[in-house]
Amino acid sequence: MKTPDEKPEALLKRAVRGDEQAFLTLYQKHQSALYRYALRMTGSPWAAEEVVQEVFLVLIREPQKYRAERGELGAFLYGVARNRVMKQLERTPRELSLDIMNADGSAWNEPEDPLTPMMIAEKRERMEQVREAVLGLPAEFREAVVLCELEEMSYEEAASACGCPIGTIRSRLHRGRALLLAKLELLRDAPRRASAGAK
Amino acid sequence: MMNCEEFELRGLDIDRADADPTEVAAAVQHAQLCGRCSAMLESWREVKGDLRLLRESTLLDAAPARVEMRLKQELRTRREARVPRSAVVVASWALAAAAVLVASIGWLQTHRKAERSVVSSSNAGQTGNILQSASNYEDDGMLLAADYDSASFTQLPASLPSASGDESILEVRMQRGALERFGLPVDPDRASEFVDVDFLVGEDGQPQAVRLHRDSQVMTATQ
Repeated sequence: MKTPDEKPEALLKRAVRGDEQAFLTLYQKHQSALYRYALRMTGSPWAAEEVVQEVFLVLIREPQKYRAERGELGAFLYGVARNRVMKQLERTPRELSLDIMNADGSAWNEPEDPLTPMMIAEKRERMEQVREAVLGLPAEFREAVVLCELEEMSYEEAASACGCPIGTIRSRLHRGRALLLAKLELLRDAPRRASAGAK
Repeated sequence: MMNCEEFELRGLDIDRADADPTEVAAAVQHAQLCGRCSAMLESWREVKGDLRLLRESTLLDAAPARVEMRLKQELRTRREARVPRSAVVVASWALAAAAVLVASIGWLQTHRKAERSVVSSSNAGQTGNILQSASNYEDDGMLLAADYDSASFTQLPASLPSASGDESILEVRMQRGALERFGLPVDPDRASEFVDVDFLVGEDGQPQAVRLHRDSQVMTATQ
């Protein structure tokens, strides 16, 4: 029934006809990346969950919106997710959660690491700073950083997902990096300045 | 060789897998000579390390299972909703086929009936002429016998041949005198005789033509 090298278009056709297995194959392939993207963009697991659900509902209800000749299914799904994320950000710009949480909304737990409790605490604090700095970037720059740095997409893939030229992605990434550097430098220097002032 | 502005734009890409090797070489060369750009590269590498850490810690993040369940439910609902629709389509096709079948049978029956019915408009015209030419005869028995021989009906006066060809034949036994009511000439002396007559009745229920049976004719002739 299912072939491992079956094209996404064929899988989608089967899924639209009601083939659950074909749909699940598509879902399992794309949901994780879409969820991470939405989570990093919104900072909210609930919003990310909603975005993923809406993306696949579009695929179920309006499969004709995807045209294989325009690009890959993954890029199309990113495009839909992007629209939903932007709408989400417009709706709730001040409801961004800055806490590190798991997908189910529970508190994020540090993976087991042979570090001292002090080092673990510092690492966690550092990660929260990075996360906060990324979430604090303007949406377009944040998107470029999330896609190119966190998802490690190539410029071409990121441009396809955002539906813009490669040059635009490079430019946004450049601005995003500069802002991120400035924010994290400030955060990094704050304790140093505090300790220097104490002396 | 890159300058500082170009390094700011493209120099931080040197650790990317898809970076252009020529640009990487130029950026490295520039960083070795420019302290400011070198410091920026170091800072970026530190941030990049933090980003990688964040990436790794969230690499296994995925949408909760409830999303998959909801989507599967939606898929099933849509699939179930599609079944009655297809049944409706099948039913409508079956209905259309049945209508075509009924129409075909109806047409065939009409066609056969029309074949059985001998009257056609041309024949009606012909018999009309016969009637007119024969109206001089006083013996209506002779007239009807001639009509019988031609195996067709005699058009009744003041009736028009039907265009639809949807007539039916009504066989009756009646007194000859009654034929007078249909505008036919009848000998008053033989008006009480019984004769077998076929009437061609139109769609409107009105008789259009008449035919006398052979035995009646014989009976008439012998009388």
